[in-house]
Amino acid sequence: MPKPIKDNICEEQLFSSLYKKYAADLNNFLYYKYGSVLSPKDKVQEAFIKLWENCGKITPNKAKSFLFTTANNLMLNAYAHQKVVRKFEQIKPKSSTNESPEFLMQEEEYRKKLEKAISNLTEAQRVAFLMNRVEGKRFKEIAALLDISTKAVEKRIYGALKKLREDIDEL
Amino acid sequence: MTREELIKKWLDHDLNAEELVAFKMLKDYKALTMLDHSVKSYKASEFNTSKNLEALMSTLESKPSKSINWFSAVMKIAAVLVICFGVYFYSITRDTTINTLASNKQTITLPDASIAELNALSTLRFNDYSWDEQREVTLNGEAFFKVAKGSRFDVKTTSGIVSVLGTQFNVKQRDDYFEVTCYEGKVGVTFDNNITKLLPGDSFFILDGKFIATEKENQSVPSWLENTSRFKSIPYKEVIAEFERQHNVSVELQNIDASQLFTGSFTHNDIEIALKSITLPLHLTYSKTDNIITLKRE
Repeated sequence: MPKPIKDNICEEQLFSSLYKKYAADLNNFLYYKYGSVLSPKDKVQEAFIKLWENCGKITPNKAKSFLFTTANNLMLNAYAHQKVVRKFEQIKPKSSTNESPEFLMQEEEYRKKLEKAISNLTEAQRVAFLMNRVEGKRFKEIAALLDISTKAVEKRIYGALKKLREDIDEL
Repeated sequence: MTREELIKKWLDHDLNAEELVAFKMLKDYKALTMLDHSVKSYKASEFNTSKNLEALMSTLESKPSKSINWFSAVMKIAAVLVICFGVYFYSITRDTTINTLASNKQTITLPDASIAELNALSTLRFNDYSWDEQREVTLNGEAFFKVAKGSRFDVKTTSGIVSVLGTQFNVKQRDDYFEVTCYEGKVGVTFDNNITKLLPGDSFFILDGKFIATEKENQSVPSWLENTSRFKSIPYKEVIAEFERQHNVSVELQNIDASQLFTGSFTHNDIEIALKSITLPLHLTYSKTDNIITLKRE
């Protein structure tokens, strides 16, 4: 393992590069896990503030896990106070105008089922699945972010897909 | 390739052209793509990295950094310590001051077990903390010292400095009156930059700035320690001043020459006998109202 050049991240430039590298992923991770009600963006900012405050104690290769753990804990703290209903903001794809009302209704119905099915997934499954499908991330990228093996990511995503299809068919 | 493997490869965005064809042949291809298409709408709200980074940086700048907090905390602790230490140091290095009132005497034990007997209306000041380095007392009034053996012992008065090594001596300093009597050992008196050495029985006596020769003292302790004030050819005003201090009264003289010399003594225990002792030899009469005594020629 190569020895890190820096043993802390108190330098503004290094800190900024960490932000550019992880902030968006961290935001998505929190969103897929907890939804948008508890403002993932604020938690991302808070986690980075904590990272800066502890910059002297954290080496660059520990920064990622520090950020994810801290942000997750911040979310859990907020989450414990209010039992929030997970709500996902949907950006409706542009529907072409020549669709028949029947088709639109079917589509709407399908969307509702899907939403319900997604909230029924376990957190681990949902995070991995949505990172894969929405962000278009490959298994090994997700594995690196979550600090788990590629095989585990594959299992979570495939399990999520299977469960979604079962749920949608049932409903 | 099995169906499950194909789906996993599709999930991992890892299908090659051949596999893609095979995947499209799957009977649930349509359901999968539909699901995939719909799931895409669950995108997290756009995260503007550069804008958010800017906002974060401005927040961090307005926040005092952790290291400065540490510094201020350390400074707070240091300030408290400095105050505590200052108070402690101030209290241990403060001079000890002992005052006696009129017609009161007090025995004081100094830090090295030397003893100072303080006569009426006198002040003795010394420093407990620096005693080991410097044995020094400041005297205003009259005191008899029994000094333990050791380094130099200084008695500072407004008239002069009395230095000894280990001995017994009496120092009396009242206004223009400065008298040092040595009872044991050797005493050095610094007066007007001249040092006079006193042997047992010797006295050094300055009155109104003039040196006055005295006879050898044959007592082992000053008379005032035995509650008697003894005078040998001392101006009458000094006798009256001592009388006032010992009996806590004020004395008025009418038509009396205060500078005439007086030889005799008075006791500290009984004011009537004392008054007689200082008036009869000079043929004076006295009258007493409250604390004021008037002396007149017969």
